[in-house]
Amino acid sequence: MESKARQEKNTEIGHRTPLYDAPLKASGVIRYVDDMKLPRMLYAKMVWSTVPHAIIKSIDTEEAEKMPGVRAVCTWKNCRQVSYNSCGEDIDKFLTERIFDQRVRFVGDRMAAVAADTLEIAEKAAKLIKVEYQELPFYLDAELAMKDDAFPIHAGGNVAETVCMNAGDVEKGWTEADHVLEYTYKLPAVHHGAMEPHTAIADYDASGKLTVYSPSQDIFGCRANLSRIFSLPMSKVRVVNPCIGGGFGGKIDAILEPIVAQLAMMTLRPVKMTLNRREEIISTRTRHAMTINLKTAFMNDGRIVAEQMTMIANAGAYSAGTSSVVWASGGKFFKKHKTPHLRFTGYPVFTNTPVAGAMRGFGSPQRCFAQERQMNRIAKKLNMSVLDLQLMNLVDIGDCDARNQVAHGRAFPKEAVLRGKVLFDWEENLREMKRSQEDNSRFRIGIGMAVGVHGNGVYGVMPDTSGIILKLNEDGSLTVFTGYSDMGNGTVTTQLQIISAVSGIPLNRIACVTADTETTMWDLGNYSSRGTFVGGNAALKAAEHLSDELKREAAEILNINADEIVLENGAAVWKDSRERFTTLADIALHAKSVNQRDICVSDTFASQNLALSYGAHFCKVSVDTETGIVKPLLFVAVHDLGKVINPMQTEGQIEGAIQMGLGYALSEALQINEEGKITNAILKKYKMFHAAEMPEIRIAYVENSEVGGPFGAKSIGECSAVPVAAAVANAVCNALDASIDRLPLTPDLVLEAIKFRGLSG
Amino acid sequence: MAENIRFVLNGETVESKSAANERLLDVLRDEFRLTGVKCGCREGECGACSVLIDGQLANSCLVALGAVSDRDVETIEGFSRSERFEILSDAFADLSAVQCGFCIPGMVLAAESLLRFNPNPTDHDIREGLSGNICRCTGYNAIVHAIQNAAEKGKGLW
Repeated sequence: MESKARQEKNTEIGHRTPLYDAPLKASGVIRYVDDMKLPRMLYAKMVWSTVPHAIIKSIDTEEAEKMPGVRAVCTWKNCRQVSYNSCGEDIDKFLTERIFDQRVRFVGDRMAAVAADTLEIAEKAAKLIKVEYQELPFYLDAELAMKDDAFPIHAGGNVAETVCMNAGDVEKGWTEADHVLEYTYKLPAVHHGAMEPHTAIADYDASGKLTVYSPSQDIFGCRANLSRIFSLPMSKVRVVNPCIGGGFGGKIDAILEPIVAQLAMMTLRPVKMTLNRREEIISTRTRHAMTINLKTAFMNDGRIVAEQMTMIANAGAYSAGTSSVVWASGGKFFKKHKTPHLRFTGYPVFTNTPVAGAMRGFGSPQRCFAQERQMNRIAKKLNMSVLDLQLMNLVDIGDCDARNQVAHGRAFPKEAVLRGKVLFDWEENLREMKRSQEDNSRFRIGIGMAVGVHGNGVYGVMPDTSGIILKLNEDGSLTVFTGYSDMGNGTVTTQLQIISAVSGIPLNRIACVTADTETTMWDLGNYSSRGTFVGGNAALKAAEHLSDELKREAAEILNINADEIVLENGAAVWKDSRERFTTLADIALHAKSVNQRDICVSDTFASQNLALSYGAHFCKVSVDTETGIVKPLLFVAVHDLGKVINPMQTEGQIEGAIQMGLGYALSEALQINEEGKITNAILKKYKMFHAAEMPEIRIAYVENSEVGGPFGAKSIGECSAVPVAAAVANAVCNALDASIDRLPLTPDLVLEAIKFRGLSG
Repeated sequence: MAENIRFVLNGETVESKSAANERLLDVLRDEFRLTGVKCGCREGECGACSVLIDGQLANSCLVALGAVSDRDVETIEGFSRSERFEILSDAFADLSAVQCGFCIPGMVLAAESLLRFNPNPTDHDIREGLSGNICRCTGYNAIVHAIQNAAEKGKGLW
């Protein structure tokens, strides 16, 4: 009933519209890549390096090749030797990776692959491959790898580059300030944890065309890499994403795609490879482990005058998106506070650990953790409320980046803090925290907060464009072609809502084709929180174009001016009388029969500004001082996001980000032993939050239209993941009146802090 | 030659050509092409491969084919023909309990299993009932609300 009324009113914007493909997903009929089976398809199994750093002295594949059913064995000796960067965003820099290399650089590095008639045969054959290593020095810690005399993991040394950004004069800040604090924070590598492991199918046909099915967040970046590696024109490479079972940044890079493509070309048969969870954890991508030193100078009233951050980012064994991660994280160092003197220095460092890449927040959760732990400390030192400290330092609308005077846009982080304070019931919870301390109770209550900032695409770094094709069918229904690979985050649904709202075509009359390099227009990729801001704008632009075409035809039919026509509920209606209208089916028919043309529009939207999204997060925890177990009780997230296009998807993004952030704060970390092996590469040991462990969540929005955003909207996907762990850590530290400067806050770490503070239960 | 394993799959008696020690998950996906059963971990932790065996929720990755001999196995494909599925599916879609969707068939079967034993669950009961299923997208709230709504709308069906 509700949806019918809505369609008649055509008010899609701001509506709780379900995901367009939700029913297909609920019934299990939607097809993910691993559900696909092509005729004559082979199954592939990878052989992984068991040592952290070595030259492959010899690799004997004879036994494997002899096994009946084995169709190809691929190693560095018989694969394309082209260096590439798996991350589309960094495709032209740090080309450190190859399909297979004579050198392996981490435990879990690719060494060989077998394609066989069945997975069982491939697995058996993979075990028959014998390798002799000549082991090399290895580094698991970025600080050791970056020493001058460290053995180089790649030509050019282990420090990939030095990223420097400055504003003002920090030296002046140190002398002017009443106080200077300096601390070092350590963040672990974590696993994305998408429920669908990496998988890909390649099919190389008789015409020399390579088709790859992959749950890729970046189909065009993947195509560009495949085109380079195999020297194929892009017209001979097709990358299709049928459906993704979760990405979070982990599926941006081309990881399995080049391998299955190589095997398909060797066998002239389709080849599938699907990782199991262990392989997924040890061999794909991680969030960067970081060591961050932060020095902050501030006045007695709390005003921060200077801040200097030195970030050492563990890139792992290959570069992937590391350079962009460090640049992006550094850039946002200049976007949160009014601080005039700022210096950021970042070092992406190669080590012999799993490859770090993009992960929700793209370097910001780490930076935010350091900055917000420091804010908590400053407030304590000055004996002032952290909320007042935030209000004194956060940017306002009209403020600019101190490096270049580029405005932050319509930024309202202070409003988010003030709304959050009320929604969280800060004062009452603060009293509860104090009471639990005064009572010296076993379960200490703690509250903490943090403010995060994130971007809306990559404007200013590279052209940020999305293309859309809209094709009106003969019956007046519409087919949308969009390059977005919707990860479940609702980007495509947002685009459809916007197209429906503008063109007046009800959602149930709109279908879409997504993420196929052959049929959809170029799109930068499903990353950098650009879905709403850039993808939404592309939908808006194309829908406006379509509306003009529809009105042009309708004007002829109705014999009125096009500007007197309103599009609603699948019809073109004269604004002066609802009796005078024509349906979209009639418009399509008229275009065909009278004007002998299709109604089909295609448009490219290029982002023109970089808006910033802000979020204030508040957390209340209970800390068991006997066991060290932290239980999150309440979480409040208030986001400055311009305008909410779909409240339901927005809540889903925030709640999901809180799940992920709580894990980052309390339970998730890849544990790497002294031999470079991950010791918790199974979900039994790698703990993600379950339903019963989640706290109560309250969400609110600050909706002040952003310039350049579709209907004023800004991003939410990554921003919501940025401050979570920092808020949790501040709550735990405040509960114990202790300082813990690393994640995750495991019971052991918490007990250590309690012991250090001399607290008793 | 060992005898083929027979069992009831989504209401139909079937005979599997696979060995008794094969994982039920692989048999369902590869031999019977029931790809609504998902593989997330193969260690019984994520619940994406959930099926109902004689009405009880089970991780099919931890069950050997031989163990379901002469028993009743229901996957999302079978359950999706029921009225109770319609109610759950609508609730999941309408409340956006579905994002990437990979965990959802398992979640829906976990909900069915829960509601069969407890048709009027509290928020706490639902969260406990989902203790074997991981979702990385939604943060679970929408899923919990969807199950609550389905329980209310489908009163009498469970």
